[in-house]
Amino acid sequence: MSADVIGSDRPLTATQRALFEVVVDMIVPASADGTKPSAAEVGVLDFIAERQPGDLPAIVRDIDRLDAAARERHGAGFAGIDAASRRALVEDMRADDAAFLRNLAMHTVTCYYQDDRVLTAIGLEARPPFPKGYEVVAGDTGLLEPVRRRGSIVRDA
Amino acid sequence: MADDIVDVLIVGAGASGAAVAWSLAETRMRIVCLEQGGWMNPAEYPSNGRDWEMRQYSEYQLSPNLRKRAADYPINDDDSPIAILNFNAVGGSTILYSAHFPRFHPSDFRVASLDGVADDWPIDYWMLEPFFAENDRNIGVSGLAGDPAIPFHEPPLPPVPMGRMGEAMGRGFNKLGWHWWPSDTAIVTRDYNGRGRCLNLGPCNAGCAQGAKSSADVTYWPMAERAGVELRTNCRVREVTVDGRDMATGVTYFDADGVERHQRAEVVIVACNGVGTPRLLLNSTSARFPDGLANRSGLVGKNLMLHPFGHVRGIFPEPLASHFGPQGSCILSQEFYETDSSRGFVRGYDLQVTRGAPPVAAARAGIASGTIPWGEDHHAAFERTYDRDINIGVLCEDLPEEHNRVTLDPELADSHGIPAPKVSYKLSENSRRMLEHGVARASEAMIAAGATTVHPSPSPIRYCGWHLLGTARMGDDPGRSVVNSWGRSHDVRNLFIVDGSVFVTSGGVNPTTTIQAVALYIADAMKKNLANLFD
Ligand SMILES: Cc1cc2nc3c(=O)[nH]c(=O)nc-3n(C[C@H](O)[C@H](O)[C@H](O)COP(=O)(O)OP(=O)(O)OC[C@H]3O[C@@H](n4cnc5c(N)ncnc54)[C@H](O)[C@@H]3O)c2cc1C
Ligand code: SF4
Repeated sequence: MSADVIGSDRPLTATQRALFEVVVDMIVPASADGTKPSAAEVGVLDFIAERQPGDLPAIVRDIDRLDAAARERHGAGFAGIDAASRRALVEDMRADDAAFLRNLAMHTVTCYYQDDRVLTAIGLEARPPFPKGYEVVAGDTGLLEPVRRRGSIVRDA
Repeated sequence: MADDIVDVLIVGAGASGAAVAWSLAETRMRIVCLEQGGWMNPAEYPSNGRDWEMRQYSEYQLSPNLRKRAADYPINDDDSPIAILNFNAVGGSTILYSAHFPRFHPSDFRVASLDGVADDWPIDYWMLEPFFAENDRNIGVSGLAGDPAIPFHEPPLPPVPMGRMGEAMGRGFNKLGWHWWPSDTAIVTRDYNGRGRCLNLGPCNAGCAQGAKSSADVTYWPMAERAGVELRTNCRVREVTVDGRDMATGVTYFDADGVERHQRAEVVIVACNGVGTPRLLLNSTSARFPDGLANRSGLVGKNLMLHPFGHVRGIFPEPLASHFGPQGSCILSQEFYETDSSRGFVRGYDLQVTRGAPPVAAARAGIASGTIPWGEDHHAAFERTYDRDINIGVLCEDLPEEHNRVTLDPELADSHGIPAPKVSYKLSENSRRMLEHGVARASEAMIAAGATTVHPSPSPIRYCGWHLLGTARMGDDPGRSVVNSWGRSHDVRNLFIVDGSVFVTSGGVNPTTTIQAVALYIADAMKKNLANLFD
């Protein structure tokens, strides 16, 4: 992700950006088989900055809270603690406040599942639905036989 | 020109206004329609772009309060567990509709006689039947003839593909011995009247880029305009004006430049939907109608019916390609449509089987519900649900209750300063029981079809107020209804209402085929009575 994505009025410091990437990668890490990138690799921050900039300040506040909590609990910033401690801290904070980082998680998957590499990995062509469309099998209307056999169920009125 | 008098002035260019405009055009009267929105451009619909899924969550939100397009007006629905959904443009809410198109049943028009609840309609299924058929031909409806749950009719086009998911559910319903059938759908499955066939894009609820979905802008409006109807867009009507003889004289509206104008008319037809219509009438006060126009019965805005909606998502062990094909239309079951008093409620519901979630929606649903966790297990959990899900909607008949109503909000107003509607709605005990029953049956059907997990959502779903009915009901008794059996106001003899507001009851199916049949029926009655329309 480029450091300049937020533009001249970029609201995130380098530390916050690094932390942001750590957090989105906790939401969706790269797949173990290497076919799917991690969330930071698909550019979640650019995506939110471009599409929903109004949501960024609250997300950054949550990330700052996380960092502060890490310092309090472990004496080091969130990026500086080990993976197990990170997970435990996030879980605790989400358990305390269900809204904590929830919006970020929603934006993360929204961005992630529109990325070419991800779509290809889940078996889709990386293209818009229109104009090519999709084929859907008609389905076997012979399955309706028992419904037909039962006859009319129209209520007398 | 604005001071010219026109023969017929229609307010609202949605499903019903468009049908009436087309039908009346053959009279060669001068007909003008005022619509607060503009024309939609299918080339701008989300499915043209890679970001189609996320645009559904922003510009194409179903609630006007979240969407906030210039043509939208706010609706205070805080006092309702069900949020009001609509769209304001040429084509009205059909721009977003799923086009699931089941007809009302004959019994729906006679609920008082059959079940001792609500009221019978002053018209019946058989009076509407020719207009159902005419509408099906005009807009292009797909389906399979011979559904034993409803009187025989032949949709002009073959049904939308049910796909492997439809087959799976069909087998499940068969196991239980329940009714099911491919849904009638207002989508063209073959090229039809110059429109290309459905490409199974999926996101019909964000506008159809192909024009295969039979929304009113691509069906009735081109025909009506060719026949001479004038459609003025971006014109928002503030009130219907009346004279001292209780006759409508026209409407006051804001044109596209925000200039206030008056358009005189011999006949005014209101087609603003079950919330927009009572709002306009309640905003049209005068010395003779201090409580709102055509409201001597006191019933304008009352008896709002919304079809409480339950939802169950089933996850299947094998991939079903379930998110391709028209989102809201596949198959339906009407096993529980008619009253069976042993169930603990009167009337019934429709089980509407809808497609699975595309990738973003699948991931968001999983994250929101916690079924897709954060971290390493994300991918496996996503793969267990994506492309393997089927949804069933439980669409419940809502009975009319006067306390469920549209009034005017004392503070909220639209961008022209016109008071906004306020919706007050309480879910009835009958609806609560029906929802509970329906969600249990939908879950049972999922299991019978082979679902490994079943996720019922808490009912009623909030963002499901897409059917707006009953707020200017029809009837023969002027004390107990707003319009007569052919849509004419009891109080104002040159004022007609043609949208879902006139519904006496709500049926247990999506209403638009019936709304358009009623609109065509009213237009036909007007044509037959032209010589003495106001007697
Ligand atoms: C997301 C969604 C999905 C749906 N799915 C289905 C489905 O699958 N099947 C089904 O049968 N139905 C469905 N519906 C419902 C269907 O769209 C409506 O029943 C139908 O459009 C109602 O037609 P109408 O003419 O009464 O009103 P609308 O189509 O809502 O049209 C009313 C028009 O009046 C205009 N208007 C209102 N007030 C004013 C004013 N003061 N001045 C000028 N113009 C005004 C509005 O801008 C609007 O264009 C769905 C609706 C939504 C929102
Ligand atoms: S599925 Fe068919 S009707 Fe729906 S948007 Fe796609 S082409 Fe249009």
